[in-house]
Amino acid sequence: MAKQMDRRRFLKVVGVTGGGAAAAAACGPGDPTTLVPYLVPPENQIPGVATYYATTCRECPAGCGMHVRVREGRAVKVEGNPDSPINRGALCARGQASLQGLYNPDRVRGPMARNAAGQFEPIAWEDAYTRIVERMGAATGDQVAFLTGHASGTFDQLVDQWLAAVGSQTRFVYEPFAYEALREANRAVFGLDVVPEYQFATARYVLSFGTDFLETWLSPVQFAREFSSGHGIVDDQMGRYVHIEPRMSMTAFSADEWVSPNPGTEGVLALGIANVILADAPDNAPFDVFRVRPLLERHDPDMVAGVCGVPAETIRRLAAEFAAVPSLAIAGGVGAQHDQAHATAAAVNILNYVAGNVGNTVQFGPDAPATASSYQGLANLTQAMRDGRVSVLFMHGTNPAYNSPSGLGFVAALDQVGFKVSFSSVMDETSSHADLLLPDHDPLEQWNDFEPRAGAFLLQQPVMQPLHDTRQTGDVLLALARQIGGGTASRFTAQNYKEYLQDSWRTRQVQLGGQGSTFDDFWAASLQAGGVHQTPRPRTVRLDRGVGQLTFDVWQGGGAAGELTLVAYPSPVFYDGRAADRAWLQELPDPVTKITWSSWVEVSPETAEEYGIVDGDMVEITSADGSVTVPAYVYPGIRPGVVAMPIGQGHTELGRYAKDRGASVYDLLDSTPTAFGGLSHYCAVSIRHTGGHQVLASAAGMSRQMGRGIAQSTTIADVRNDEIQEFHAGHAAEIPEKIERVLDEWQEAQDRESAIGNYAGDHPRWGLAIDLTRCTGCSACVTACYAENNIPTVGEESVRRGREMAWIRIERYFEGGDGEEPLTVALLPMMCQQCGRAPCEPVCPVFAAYRTPDGLNAQVYNRCVGTRYCSNNCPYKVRYFNWFDHGNANDAAYAFPAPLHLQLNPDVTVRSKGVMEKCTFCVQRIRGKQNDAALEGRDVADGEIMMACQQSCPAQAITFGDLNDPSSAVSQSAAIARGYKVLDGLNTDPSVTYLMRVRNTVEG
Amino acid sequence: MAVIAVALYTVLQVVQAQQPGPSAVGDFVAPVDVDTTGLPGPVQPIFYRHDIHAGQYQMNCLYCHYAAEVSSSPGLPSVDTCMGCHLLVGGSNPEVAKVREAFASGKPIEWVEVHRLPPFVHFPHMRHVNADIRCQECHGQVEEMPQVYQWASLKMGWCLSCHKQNNVTTDCTACHY
Repeated sequence: MAKQMDRRRFLKVVGVTGGGAAAAAACGPGDPTTLVPYLVPPENQIPGVATYYATTCRECPAGCGMHVRVREGRAVKVEGNPDSPINRGALCARGQASLQGLYNPDRVRGPMARNAAGQFEPIAWEDAYTRIVERMGAATGDQVAFLTGHASGTFDQLVDQWLAAVGSQTRFVYEPFAYEALREANRAVFGLDVVPEYQFATARYVLSFGTDFLETWLSPVQFAREFSSGHGIVDDQMGRYVHIEPRMSMTAFSADEWVSPNPGTEGVLALGIANVILADAPDNAPFDVFRVRPLLERHDPDMVAGVCGVPAETIRRLAAEFAAVPSLAIAGGVGAQHDQAHATAAAVNILNYVAGNVGNTVQFGPDAPATASSYQGLANLTQAMRDGRVSVLFMHGTNPAYNSPSGLGFVAALDQVGFKVSFSSVMDETSSHADLLLPDHDPLEQWNDFEPRAGAFLLQQPVMQPLHDTRQTGDVLLALARQIGGGTASRFTAQNYKEYLQDSWRTRQVQLGGQGSTFDDFWAASLQAGGVHQTPRPRTVRLDRGVGQLTFDVWQGGGAAGELTLVAYPSPVFYDGRAADRAWLQELPDPVTKITWSSWVEVSPETAEEYGIVDGDMVEITSADGSVTVPAYVYPGIRPGVVAMPIGQGHTELGRYAKDRGASVYDLLDSTPTAFGGLSHYCAVSIRHTGGHQVLASAAGMSRQMGRGIAQSTTIADVRNDEIQEFHAGHAAEIPEKIERVLDEWQEAQDRESAIGNYAGDHPRWGLAIDLTRCTGCSACVTACYAENNIPTVGEESVRRGREMAWIRIERYFEGGDGEEPLTVALLPMMCQQCGRAPCEPVCPVFAAYRTPDGLNAQVYNRCVGTRYCSNNCPYKVRYFNWFDHGNANDAAYAFPAPLHLQLNPDVTVRSKGVMEKCTFCVQRIRGKQNDAALEGRDVADGEIMMACQQSCPAQAITFGDLNDPSSAVSQSAAIARGYKVLDGLNTDPSVTYLMRVRNTVEG
Repeated sequence: MAVIAVALYTVLQVVQAQQPGPSAVGDFVAPVDVDTTGLPGPVQPIFYRHDIHAGQYQMNCLYCHYAAEVSSSPGLPSVDTCMGCHLLVGGSNPEVAKVREAFASGKPIEWVEVHRLPPFVHFPHMRHVNADIRCQECHGQVEEMPQVYQWASLKMGWCLSCHKQNNVTTDCTACHY
């Protein structure tokens, strides 16, 4: 009889088992009552004690450093590497979810080949090699092509070298977000095909032209941290950020002002601002602005106002503000990439140059280390395949069958290729058309390196044994070279990819600052740190001679009558769609719309009224290239006449969580490459209300605050005003006298109780301070909480019924936008407030909800009987009920199908059906650090305990600590005058203090 | 060491000759019961004698349960640890042969769990060991058990009685989270 194996029991078994045996235990039945020790214990692993490995996140090209927490040979949590200058210990939601890439239940578990019937069937690795060698023998030189994603570093070098060794030069790189417009603009204006370094930390004024720098653009975690300090309050002065885009993106939520010009006219607006700056202070500009002076003179504010639909006085004001402080203008976001996006970026370059920002907040370094990629390259490959010039195609790390417009015909062209080999570790759209599937290790199982930009040499190391019968592609290429033999084999001396990688680092040891130590020491030190970071010297940049001849056209695509402009923007959750197979991310509410598990199209209230559309109405969107039907979301943050759809859903493959979910916006986009070699993310569409309707799986409650003062904001003028600040500091909600008397009696009773047992003596009171000025709404904290606390994903239907389990959520409220006040967005991370006088506690009939001596509202899961009284009585709606048995492998609602269950944190109980659960400030982390401190005979230091949400926060908005210690960081933050408690008037005495969001509004 | 090995060899010869019933050479009592179902506690795949290792040889518990001082989990000894001694000693004992067989074949030993806490209880061994609580206070006189059995109830009331006696925390979230 097969016996049940519950989660913790399983982990116990795994806990004392070696890697291979654990994998076997994970897959097959095991005797639940046995404990299996290691044969030979691995070094530096103690059962029950976590080991951390430094590696590099490969979820997007930013290259954040990671520390992977490993328990008993299993990665259980991914955290940021505090030593990485890129992310400084923070990690976004996609980075957190990399763990679900590793443990994805739909990973390809071994090599597979397509049989005569067109089905994939398993094949031995050696047979696969033989097939490839045979096929390559029949192909000549350049007919062997290799397509990769953005892979700068040693792997990139190996692919080039390997291709050369087999006599081919046919290498293509396709990264969907390759910022072609930005690079083209830098080439045109400065003569440099480089993406510069942006210094958000020193920029006190940021002007973003449709650039989602807090979501996906270049390095969002780093930018979020630097922006929040550059934008913060220093000596009563605050930075200012103005966002210019037809759609208010999540990034624009952090803006002090949102300017929405006619779509496609952002470049002209930038020139208009530059015109005013140059006219106001011609002497401040660099000497060579004469090259652009005639150009700028043509763009006076009145002319620009006519083109952009932005008042001339606004343009003058923006220019004056921009010139007054260290500033930074940015362009080149994917969501603003129309066919004139290079002109927008060029105009922004000129604006930065005229304002003297180039060399200060915009620093050009050495040439990019990566092989340049562009959509044009993919179009060329497609043409080559169609022409029969490719007979063997290798594909690694890219999925063009999903993220290229269907009009390009990549899939049809792929069928013209005689033999296609995919190295994807998941069955994605592209792999499903391959002849041979040789799954690569997951990035967390690999040796590799990565150079996201000049000066950053990052290392990846395997954090655990591979789960499946996969092989690292580098090893496969070396093995193939050996099997081909002759001149091809002799080009490589390394026996495996790790050796190849080490050889590559050995030759660069001195360049990387490793002189004076042995290679082994240098290697070990680099691995420990996650890589080597150098600061490249910025170079002096001047305007290119040809800059005066540039033309600045506006996007013309959306002009026809009855047509709307569709904007396809990168999803902050799914990036280019590659992360759609992660259940955590599917369940993560989109930061803007709060919709989960599906696609939508954003329409403005005006457009919605015109077409008679309400939230959830099914809308058919038709472009010249295709049509999709998705539910509508009426969004006040989008310009009338513009509709927007995120990239990321609509997969036809990619495993159970992504497949057949929503629609892909790539079915609508124009496949013709733009002048700068990119893909236009704007297109003209018509929309039609199909008459269908579906309830959106939205995690949002009310979208307006209705005067409840939940997410409060103030202005910098008020922060400077001492009287107002004194009022805030001394302000507490008024409590009627009668109630006050009752409360006093209650307090006395509490005091009597606290003199007994556990409650006597000095205890900390744990608390949080959350600075809403810093919070960007990115939701990294939400996914971090899922990962730390074993929170189950409940699926689309349950979210629709309001049964999502997110212990921390980002509340998003719209304010204004009604014609009188401009639209702004208020954000608030809401988790259990750990009330001092908690309404949930007295109503629990079994004392499962109670207050701990150290000020937590604990929830004893094994005591809970599921009356849900506590949840009904909680004014913050932060208690979550297990309607189903998400932790039971035999239940239909099981949230952790193998091997996803290996991600579970062994320090946290998996809750069962009928149990209420909630945030308890990561009590397992508190107890863990208290245990550590007790063993060392000391007290827990301030800042030693970090909440999972706090740790992940890119903007460093969250502070945790002991509120009873007046010197703790959290006490100091909570004492700031703009601090307030949510629903203070209920007299719940929360332990969470929010600091009002400060807006740098224009006075007068 | 060779002397001990020879001595053990001799002892085991004697033991096998005199089954059943214990036999003593000096203060050494050799394993004799092959069928251990009559003993309290679950039957293990190998009849490992705590009474000999911890009792007669007075090996420290932490020698094998090496993580108890530093980790929530006490740690089961790896087969490697057993082989540290049994590479040399006890070769003719059929139970030791099983250990050697496991090591040679690379097939780990599947011990039957004796002390089991429900998954919603987190017990930090290291806090208790470092507070000078003797292992025996919860596990009983293991050094006298030929086959280990659960000595204490391990129920919450039993935990709390000790916590109250010692005036340490009785807060629920000390263990339940």
